[in-house]
Amino acid sequence: MSVEKNLSPKNVADRSKKSRPKATPSRIQQNMASAKAIVDQKIVDNFIVHIAETEELKVTDLPATQVSVPLNLWLEEIDAIKSREGLIAVQIGVDEHPEDIAETLSDIDIIVLPFVNHVDGQAYSHAYKLRTRLGFKGQIRAIGDVKFDQLGFLTRVGCNAFELPDTEDLQTALRAFGEFSEVYQPSADGAKNIFSRRRAIH
Amino acid sequence: MYKYDSVDKTIVKERVAQFRDQVNRHLKGELTAADLQPLRLRNGLYMQIHAHMLRVSIPYGLINSTQMRTLARIARKYDKGYGHFTTRQNIQYNWPELADVPDILDELADVEMHAIQTSGNCIRNISSDQYAGVASDEIIDPRPYCEIIRQWSTLHPEFYWLPRKFKIAVTGATEDRAAVQFHDIGLEVVHNEAKEIGFRVYVGGGLGRTPVIGKIIKEFLPRDDILSYCDAILRVYNLHGRRDNKYKARIKILVNAMGIDAFRDEVEAEWQFQKDGDLKLDDVDFDTMAEFFPLPDYEELQEGDSRIEKWLSLDSRFKDWYNNNTVEHRQTGYRIVNISLKEHAVAPGDITSEQMDAVADIADMYSFGEIRSTHEQNLVLADVREQDLLEVWRALDAQRLATANIGSVNDMICCPGLDFCSLANASSISIAKQINEKFTDFNELYDIGEVKLKMSGCMNACGHHHVGHIGVLGVDKKGVEWYQLTVGGDASNKAELGTRLGPAIAKDKVGDAVSDILHVYREQREDDERLLDTFRRVGVEPFKERVYAEVN
Ligand code: SF4
Repeated sequence: MSVEKNLSPKNVADRSKKSRPKATPSRIQQNMASAKAIVDQKIVDNFIVHIAETEELKVTDLPATQVSVPLNLWLEEIDAIKSREGLIAVQIGVDEHPEDIAETLSDIDIIVLPFVNHVDGQAYSHAYKLRTRLGFKGQIRAIGDVKFDQLGFLTRVGCNAFELPDTEDLQTALRAFGEFSEVYQPSADGAKNIFSRRRAIH
Repeated sequence: MYKYDSVDKTIVKERVAQFRDQVNRHLKGELTAADLQPLRLRNGLYMQIHAHMLRVSIPYGLINSTQMRTLARIARKYDKGYGHFTTRQNIQYNWPELADVPDILDELADVEMHAIQTSGNCIRNISSDQYAGVASDEIIDPRPYCEIIRQWSTLHPEFYWLPRKFKIAVTGATEDRAAVQFHDIGLEVVHNEAKEIGFRVYVGGGLGRTPVIGKIIKEFLPRDDILSYCDAILRVYNLHGRRDNKYKARIKILVNAMGIDAFRDEVEAEWQFQKDGDLKLDDVDFDTMAEFFPLPDYEELQEGDSRIEKWLSLDSRFKDWYNNNTVEHRQTGYRIVNISLKEHAVAPGDITSEQMDAVADIADMYSFGEIRSTHEQNLVLADVREQDLLEVWRALDAQRLATANIGSVNDMICCPGLDFCSLANASSISIAKQINEKFTDFNELYDIGEVKLKMSGCMNACGHHHVGHIGVLGVDKKGVEWYQLTVGGDASNKAELGTRLGPAIAKDKVGDAVSDILHVYREQREDDERLLDTFRRVGVEPFKERVYAEVN
């Protein structure tokens, strides 16, 4: 990733397929699936396989089970993907833009935000944009290097489903949702700015 | 000063509980050291050469006497009896045990303090003018704005995993003592022509490996929009800042790569989405906040009411202290008192727990119970009656806190360097001592006048050497400590980076080099020029010639 990437407003608007590199190190490197997931703060069995992007990836290569597909594949083969059984789940890598799927959001059930390294916080802004200005109502699912200590803030910016590495204790991780009963700032969780709340009291 | 309400208290207490849980999970083996690392950093806890280091936040440098006593108790109970004030107005402890840190944070929370976001790649402590509210050149008190930004930026869910650390500073005076042009976001509180209050917004300033002076992104931002505008800057940075190279990850690199105009366009476009949303502030928000920073209950004092003149003529030590360590106050009959933490042979910024307790007592007795910490690693009693100055001086002097060297070459700022910091190339504290030893004659020191000497142990520039009138940077040459000198840096409104003097200098020659620079200054100065003014007039050559003539 370099600083020159799509920076000027012109480039951000021009989202031709050619300018969108495939299989960068910022996206998942191989197919992923956790045994369990946390959805709306409950532990459930997981049924999604997240398909890693390759240069040659085609819809016909996808397994018949429930999958999430890379953003590039979705944009290239919307109709083929829509005609498959099951839910429509699309990944947005940290180096991709939620605006790219703005027009197709109503077709999507689940947006998957893969974390290659949890300290890369770009996906927090992606989730925020999806929930607020793009108005996405479906599920936003964080996967990859996502653990207990990230769940609280990811929830605030709009994620409501999480796949933790199978080595993590999900029961313990559920504590993450109750750590804070107060916040200062608005985000995608409907919390109000502390200053407008205090204004209402005065 | 600001008082926590139930929301602030809850957040700080719950934060401590969260960290206690994280530490417990770590000690039980459920959370790896690698996973704990970024979490502990965001609670102010570093791993240094010898031990952990805990950095406690002092928002915009303001603390009360109760808080100071807590800091003293923590130093006694969990550390080796001292603390270290930093160039960002915070305090650091160099020896806490990991298992004790949740208890320390609990004790801090009891007095409305915390260590949240004092390190890590997130929004750091908001810094400001140490003379806020009392400076004679102040236009608008920046503290209410600092506190508003502090709250918004605390545990911000979206801006908690930024490409790199992010520092915001606010000033409201004609002379910028907060170095706003060297911050990721610098805010100058100003009036527009219609007398409305707003901010001149700088972005992309900073020191470190690539020192950059901040650029103006907005000439006048109405104050109602301060949070939504910062939000927009942070989102653009979070999405576009580099993460592939930590030395290129600060916002200054992004702003330079895009150019300020393209960066501004991007921020403005982002801002439109939430400009008039919930982040928009209202006059009443500022009024409510300003009530926390009232003018103290000043007495109506007469000019010349005190016995100052007599004291000055009777005691030359008092006179030196008065001239160097106290500053004019807005209120007649009052003065601002600087407490020097630059005693000879003590690491700059270090203070013992006894001294902290004494400062708390003196503040209670003579300065409305409030204390400020400064970028120069000193403390300030902001509101001392002139008639109390002699007693305050005696009390400080008894604690070795009245060294009359504020603003002089001995009042240097200095990062922890090789003695504590694992990134250091060279020691800085021993150089501080060496320079101190060169200037034991205080009359010489006073004759030299204002010199801001700043020293860092490596390129990360925690000691802000680039903006020192004299800057000293430790470099490593094949495992040996060497020092690179600069002259002419300036952190004030005339923001300027220092000019390199020449090749690095051997460790035992740094004191000589500084003394050479000051000799040249004294030979060449005209009228009442400071070192900085002379340097601006004559350039680097004469200094260079002298320093290297002797080295060679
Ligand atoms: S400047 Fe370098 S040596 Fe000094 S504290 Fe910062 S990182 Fe450590």
